[in-house]
Amino acid sequence: MSISLAETFFNIWNSSGFSAMTWQQLLMICVACILIYLAIVKKYEPLLLLPIAFGVLLANLPMADLMAPPPADHSGPGGLLYYLYQGVKLGIYPSLIFLGIGAMTDFGPLIARPSSLFLGAAAQLGIYIAFIVAIILGFDPKEAASIGIIGGADGPTAIFLTSKLAPELLPAIAIAAYSYMALIPMIQPPIMRLLTTKKEREIEMLQLREVSKLERIVFPIVVTIIVCLLLPSVAPLIGMLMLGNLFKESGVVERLNNTAQNALINIVTIFLGTTVGATAVASTFLRPETLKIVALGLLAFIFSTVGGLLLGKLMCFLSGGKVNPLIGSAGVSAVPMAARVSQVEGQKANPANFLLMHAMGPNVAGVIGSAVAAGFFLTMFG
Amino acid sequence: MSIVDALLVSLLGLGVVFLVLISLSILIKILSVVLGYIDNKSDISAGQIISQNGIPGGTIKTESIEIADSGWSAGELKLIGVDEKTAAMIMAIVSDESKIPLSELQFKTIRLID
Repeated sequence: MSISLAETFFNIWNSSGFSAMTWQQLLMICVACILIYLAIVKKYEPLLLLPIAFGVLLANLPMADLMAPPPADHSGPGGLLYYLYQGVKLGIYPSLIFLGIGAMTDFGPLIARPSSLFLGAAAQLGIYIAFIVAIILGFDPKEAASIGIIGGADGPTAIFLTSKLAPELLPAIAIAAYSYMALIPMIQPPIMRLLTTKKEREIEMLQLREVSKLERIVFPIVVTIIVCLLLPSVAPLIGMLMLGNLFKESGVVERLNNTAQNALINIVTIFLGTTVGATAVASTFLRPETLKIVALGLLAFIFSTVGGLLLGKLMCFLSGGKVNPLIGSAGVSAVPMAARVSQVEGQKANPANFLLMHAMGPNVAGVIGSAVAAGFFLTMFG
Repeated sequence: MSIVDALLVSLLGLGVVFLVLISLSILIKILSVVLGYIDNKSDISAGQIISQNGIPGGTIKTESIEIADSGWSAGELKLIGVDEKTAAMIMAIVSDESKIPLSELQFKTIRLID
């Protein structure tokens, strides 16, 4: 009886994941736990970091095979996350997230001051600086483009481009992009203070003009036509972004608008986060390249902030001191976090300064700018 | 890919981003002018219709009616580390966001939190 008990115990142990676990998987589970800690305790982009972290945990549990494709002889189904991952692989989730973002975004400040678009363009500088440095470090052009797009500070765009150009880098790029987006209040302020004078930060900007309903309705239609004709490869992102915005601004499809900005975006966020995390298996994640990607991501964020600020300074000079250059740093996307940072820094210099609405223009322009940059890379290397 | 090629791709890429966004800004500017003209025209014709119906003063702005309805906030308000201009703005935002007219809201203290 005792022998059979020992045998049974031995069989259970052998068929369990504990016996099959490698030290790399154990390390990845620790990484997942750290990310869960950062999401829950430090509140670093918890909406995405928590599902990503749990996806990392699930994918590194031996013998669970949640990301396993179906066997070649079709003798059984694949893992749950394998099927959910098809939405990332085919570029469906990032586009649906953009639909929700469009439904939540107010493009009014951008329409009121179209010159905000220049700041949104300048704040893509980091993408190209990181691209050049990545090439120097030995990454191939597709990988370098995917790493560079971290500087767009736009998670769905980074995932969209990387899943098409360098899917093996997806987990590292997604984790770096969302981590740095969460760290924007720490990354940007020192650069903002370094590149601007106190006098510039104190500048109070004139109130924006009121934007008519007609302008708000025409805007998404025009942007879709122009951008998608110029860069057809970016049509899934811009098309969905503008469709969501048209839902919001038209005022005639309140139910669709509500669904897009609540239920749909939440459901897709769960699928996107979990499956992107699940691609972070030890063999692809525990490599020196991951550290390089993390460092390049930071470089991209820094230079994007610098690009926006420098053009902000130029606009300040050309306008005779009517533009506060702090709004330039908001051009890095990361809506609305980057705009809030501009507001906070502006108010520190001058308590009567209200830059939030002025910074929202470059902020939403950055979303379009990073999508255009992704479209350019897709055209070049896709 | 060589560094020179990477540099060229980057310059081209940044150029494309600027080109697309500058084109958009010009288009938005043109649209604003055209749509503003159309809006003004429809405002004037609506004003004329109101005038013909015997209401003096031409056009009626809806915003002014909303402001008149919202009334005033009453009672004593303590401001701690906040100037009057900021306090007025906060009160207006709270009223707008909560959809409660200022006449039905009472603010006791507005304090600056460090």
